[in-house]
Amino acid sequence: MRADAPPVVAVDKSQDAASPSGVRAWLSRHPLAAYAIRRFGLYLVELWGALTIAFFFFRLMPGDPIQTLIQTLQQNYVYNAQASTELIARYKHEFGLDGNLLTQYFKYMEKLILHGDLGPSLINYPTPAQTVILRSLPWTIGLLGISAVLAWILGMIIGAIAGWRRGKLGSAIATNLSIALSHVPYFFVALILVYVFAYSMGLLPARSAYDSNINPGISLAFIGSVLKYGLLPGLSIVIIGTFSWILSTRMLMIPILGEDYLVYAEAKGLKGSRILTRYALRNCYLPQITAFGISLGFIFNGNVLVEQLFNYPGLGTTLVTAIQQLDFNTILGVTDIAIFSVLTAVLLLDLLLPLLDPRVKYWK
Amino acid sequence: MRLLTAVLRTIRHSRRLAIGLIILGVLILLALFSPLIAKAIGGGQDPIELAAYDRWLVPGPKHLLGTDQFGRDVFAMVVKALAVSLQIGAIAGVISTVVGVIVAFVAGYKGGWIDGILSTFTGILLVIPTFPLLIALSAYAKNVSLFQVGVMISIFSWPFAAKTIRSQVLSLRTRPYVDLARVGKARDIEIIVTELLPNLLPFIGVGFASSALGAIFGLVGLEIIGLGPGGVIDLGQIIFNAIGTGALTLGAWPMFVVPIGLLTLLFAALNMVNIGLEEVYNPRLRGVAGE
Repeated sequence: MRADAPPVVAVDKSQDAASPSGVRAWLSRHPLAAYAIRRFGLYLVELWGALTIAFFFFRLMPGDPIQTLIQTLQQNYVYNAQASTELIARYKHEFGLDGNLLTQYFKYMEKLILHGDLGPSLINYPTPAQTVILRSLPWTIGLLGISAVLAWILGMIIGAIAGWRRGKLGSAIATNLSIALSHVPYFFVALILVYVFAYSMGLLPARSAYDSNINPGISLAFIGSVLKYGLLPGLSIVIIGTFSWILSTRMLMIPILGEDYLVYAEAKGLKGSRILTRYALRNCYLPQITAFGISLGFIFNGNVLVEQLFNYPGLGTTLVTAIQQLDFNTILGVTDIAIFSVLTAVLLLDLLLPLLDPRVKYWK
Repeated sequence: MRLLTAVLRTIRHSRRLAIGLIILGVLILLALFSPLIAKAIGGGQDPIELAAYDRWLVPGPKHLLGTDQFGRDVFAMVVKALAVSLQIGAIAGVISTVVGVIVAFVAGYKGGWIDGILSTFTGILLVIPTFPLLIALSAYAKNVSLFQVGVMISIFSWPFAAKTIRSQVLSLRTRPYVDLARVGKARDIEIIVTELLPNLLPFIGVGFASSALGAIFGLVGLEIIGLGPGGVIDLGQIIFNAIGTGALTLGAWPMFVVPIGLLTLLFAALNMVNIGLEEVYNPRLRGVAGE
């Protein structure tokens, strides 16, 4: 893994050296463009590095997926005799496992970049891994996206109020509760929610994503069912997420509260709520947007367990099933998508923030 | 001695830090004495031995937390499991802090292209979702030991430590007293050990606490998917058992509530230490806690 590091910088340098002097002069006159290009170059390097590390990580792991596949097929009486060497060779070729590691790597990257092809999925052969992943992606995006945004908004509001009214009892309770609970895994809350609402009270379902009696489609019954089934897993992410956003918003709020312009706003006789939203909170939400982008990756980590507990048909469940069956292409595909989304989110935020906030200056 | 008084002074300044350390201390003591506690509960026999008692006993004076599906005493199990969970936190915490500190000092102090390579590399490792890789690693590495799991978790947690510490090294190395030491012809290693390291101890402590938190949660996560190390029972495995055996419906609530409660307490204590240390050493955050 460590051996991959030097080329990372080599690429970076060659990009710098390749730019002719005319371009350089133009760039020095357009710092924002220069920043955007630099930032995009760094994005490409990071993306390439992370994908490469992930590829070699999974390829260097012991375990023979082809043998597993053939065993599965034999168990299902597709073949009753021993698999021939030709058959094994054909499967190896199909899954991109023939040739040495470097050939495999170049072939994988070529297929991934040029065709968006992750190779066939082992469990669902011959369905391509990207199809399997795309099937589960909407569930994860829906569950994660809505709960993550909800937690962020709630945390910002409560955190801002807690900072504003510091010293009051309610603020102290919110703060201390957040300190205690902000690092607790989502999974614990999910378990407790399942215990209370699904087992003890029998109010809400604790497995799957929708009622199996309802046909998936755009119908009121189906959407209602999806919401009902998504309530518990979503709630567990919202609860813990909110606590950690309360804490960070509050930490951003308090240094601002002593600023002169807030005193001035108060002296003007503005209402407290107006000062809070228009003056104080404005200076908190931008850094919090960046933090939100970065947190997406960590939410994904925790989400794997939540989905597993609720048997929710999202990426996390797909991933765990794939790992149990040594489905290389799917595992790597899920990892690649997570890497891609986090890096892209951070890139977009880094590029957008200078436009939103004139004080943000990343370039020299 | 000077160090001890400094530590005591720090604790007095932050109630949060003190509470966190006290909870942590109690949990560590509980873990340290876990063999004795188990012996006392068993009264001569091993209470975690299979079929030591009747199965699914309800909590009572004889078995404070009841027994599980194999007739093991849940209280003894929980105490021993706590020790295992703390152990994994300590192992992974130490490894990733040491690696993180070395990388951070080399990158932050040397600067230049070395910093470029190391920082890009840590940045890349930070965006790779670690949990899938961790599941994959332990799925392939059958019969892993606790120490090996600790090492596996550290592989992914040192970048966090390295990143926080590096930014502090960067701000410290341009301070006048460091320049003074450099003018005084002190060698780099001397400057690092005598000037920088002592001032960075709180941040190293923060890095350690975060890594330990991550490792404990990592192991719990692995256990819940059924991929933990063999031969040891940690808190995650008790939770996993409770789900798998339907303890939730059988009314054996301690099997599930107690480990979650203990882990939450542990997370809370470590987080309090974390925030307490940050508050004490970062003047801008002082008062943010709003005691």
